[in-house]
Amino acid sequence: MTQSRSNSSKPAIISEEQQTNTHTNTNTESIETLAEKPEKEPELMVKKRVPDWLNNSMLSSPAPVVSPPSKSRSQSPPPPSSSHHDLLASYTSKSSSVYSYNSSTVIQPPVPIPPPTFIRPEPPTKPARTPRTDFRDPLTRSSDSDNDISSSVEDASRQTNLIQALSRKIINMRELRRLASEGIPDSAGIRSTVWKLLLAYLPCDKALWSSELAKKRSQYNQFKEDFLMNPSEITRKLEDSASLQNGENTSEGKGLLPRSEIPHGEHPLSLGKTSVWNQFFQDTEIIDQIDRDVKRTHPDIDFFCGDSASSKANQDSLRNILMVYAKLNPGIRYVQGMNEILAPLFYVFKNDPDEDYSRNAEADTFFCFVELLSGIRDNFVQQLDNSVVGIRSTILKLSLLLKEHDEELWRHLDITTKVNPQFYAFRWITLLLTQEFIFTDSLHIWDTLLSDPEGPQETLLRVCCAMLILVRRRLLAGDFTANLKLLQSYPSTTNISHLLYVANKLRSHHHP
Amino acid sequence: MVLVLAIGDLHIPHRAPDLPAKFKSMLVPGKIQHIICTGNLCIKEVHDYLKSLCPSLHITRGEYDEDARYPETKTLTIGQFKLGLCHGHQVVPWGDLDSLAMLQRQLDVDILVSGHTHQFKAYKHEAGVVINPGSATGAYSSITYDVNPSFVLMDIDGLRVVVYVYELIDGEVKVDKIDFKKTSTATT
Repeated sequence: MTQSRSNSSKPAIISEEQQTNTHTNTNTESIETLAEKPEKEPELMVKKRVPDWLNNSMLSSPAPVVSPPSKSRSQSPPPPSSSHHDLLASYTSKSSSVYSYNSSTVIQPPVPIPPPTFIRPEPPTKPARTPRTDFRDPLTRSSDSDNDISSSVEDASRQTNLIQALSRKIINMRELRRLASEGIPDSAGIRSTVWKLLLAYLPCDKALWSSELAKKRSQYNQFKEDFLMNPSEITRKLEDSASLQNGENTSEGKGLLPRSEIPHGEHPLSLGKTSVWNQFFQDTEIIDQIDRDVKRTHPDIDFFCGDSASSKANQDSLRNILMVYAKLNPGIRYVQGMNEILAPLFYVFKNDPDEDYSRNAEADTFFCFVELLSGIRDNFVQQLDNSVVGIRSTILKLSLLLKEHDEELWRHLDITTKVNPQFYAFRWITLLLTQEFIFTDSLHIWDTLLSDPEGPQETLLRVCCAMLILVRRRLLAGDFTANLKLLQSYPSTTNISHLLYVANKLRSHHHP
Repeated sequence: MVLVLAIGDLHIPHRAPDLPAKFKSMLVPGKIQHIICTGNLCIKEVHDYLKSLCPSLHITRGEYDEDARYPETKTLTIGQFKLGLCHGHQVVPWGDLDSLAMLQRQLDVDILVSGHTHQFKAYKHEAGVVINPGSATGAYSSITYDVNPSFVLMDIDGLRVVVYVYELIDGEVKVDKIDFKKTSTATT
């Protein structure tokens, strides 16, 4: 029996991994041999070590070397038949055998949750609504031919499942959540509808949809009228309703113009607190900030930042939503970063192939944005930073989560290299990972975040923890500067399905 | 919604030390988009102060202005309106509405802003509107003794102008407004 299976014989990609753990089952070749592998000594399975399945090199993120063009998810050399699908099969069988293997050891993983289908399909064909997209639109990225067969099969099955779930009269939210957590396909506006359901904007009963939508949309338009008018229009409306006899003195030929009283001291230079004008000028600061941030949102995506009239209109919509939110919530107003959370919502809703939904995307986005923000707004309030619900305590929770699952890494990060989690996790958590990955990937991550019954905050912590674990090799090898650099610009080539799978596994350990 | 401040005849430091405190507290930077000044400031410090309120400052020369480089008249377009600016000492008889109307037709503007008389006036005739913002400091004038500090703020919104008149009467700021619509067919 080979006690110390070193990986030195393995190709260079995983040679960094120092497997001193005797229970190494880190290579796919061992799959076949796993069954015959002799029992390991329990005493070596120390609780503080990283559990096997986690220590697997296959679960680590790819090294910074150029990833193989076929986008293989694992670092070990592909088995002789190098098709992607086979890899999938081997991975599945391997993980299930890991489960059975581990059950005999000290650490008892709870009921293993079957890994969700983790091929995130690149859309094999351009979505039907191409007129709105151009070459810079992230959703029209072309996929590998390798993935086509297997992924389109997966995609099609998931799509039919989702469409079926959505077509019921009363939607089963639990089932929808379960399906959504596996990933929502990019086509046919499914994501738009599913997100609206997950964010409780649309009720479960389909019959109520049209009335709900009409009500909410008119409410939003009312908000816009109330809050976004400038004072000239407001005063004009006031006096139009007040007196209709201010005659058309344009008919007069000559004469002194009549002076009239102003209502309630409402003049533009008024310093009164209740003055419409004064409030208007006080809001201009916030409006300026919103404007600046909206212009800077996703400058590489044409939908947001282009020269066309549609991108200007999109920016206007974003601006309106943020301004109405700021007016409705004087406690929190606008904080930088809200635009980043708003952007994916608006993008998904606006690109809905259904004309009606697309036209009213602004109103729909507003309510979904409010709902989403209600869970995480404490992160944006500066006064709450140090409190129990504030961002500091959330970051602490992340730290504890990491310690629970991977103490070695936690120790290395926190104590040895002293990388304060605030340096990297702040942006991860407050912006719901929109800034860490490319746009389409963040949409996929949001699928999972929004659909998880535990709530987006909890799921987010698990995903962040998974992000750390996936790069653990590089982190363990790096010092303060290298680690900080890595975490602040997290490799965007990470396989998202991979990441979400690991995050899911963390949950299974969390709730025994 | 463009806010335009029309102000003039301050005569600082010769006839008045400074703007009234109540006026000064209201005039804060950031609210006004344009300032048009009829003239007779008279010194550079006043010019700098007005410039701090708003970078877009237009002045015409009054007879006591120390800076000789200001023009005699000026025209500018704000929104749908053409505004003309002149101090008014050139137009004789001083303050005569018919003569000012002639100047207005000459400059071809919808609104003519002129000063020199230190009296607020807003007058309408076929060719357009003449506005005199008065003296912002209440400086004494050779035409009249009874001078109230006053200035004018115009809110230009499309084809409509709301003229807010700020006067300091007995130590209190009184604000009135005047509505004026431009008929789109009236091309002067």
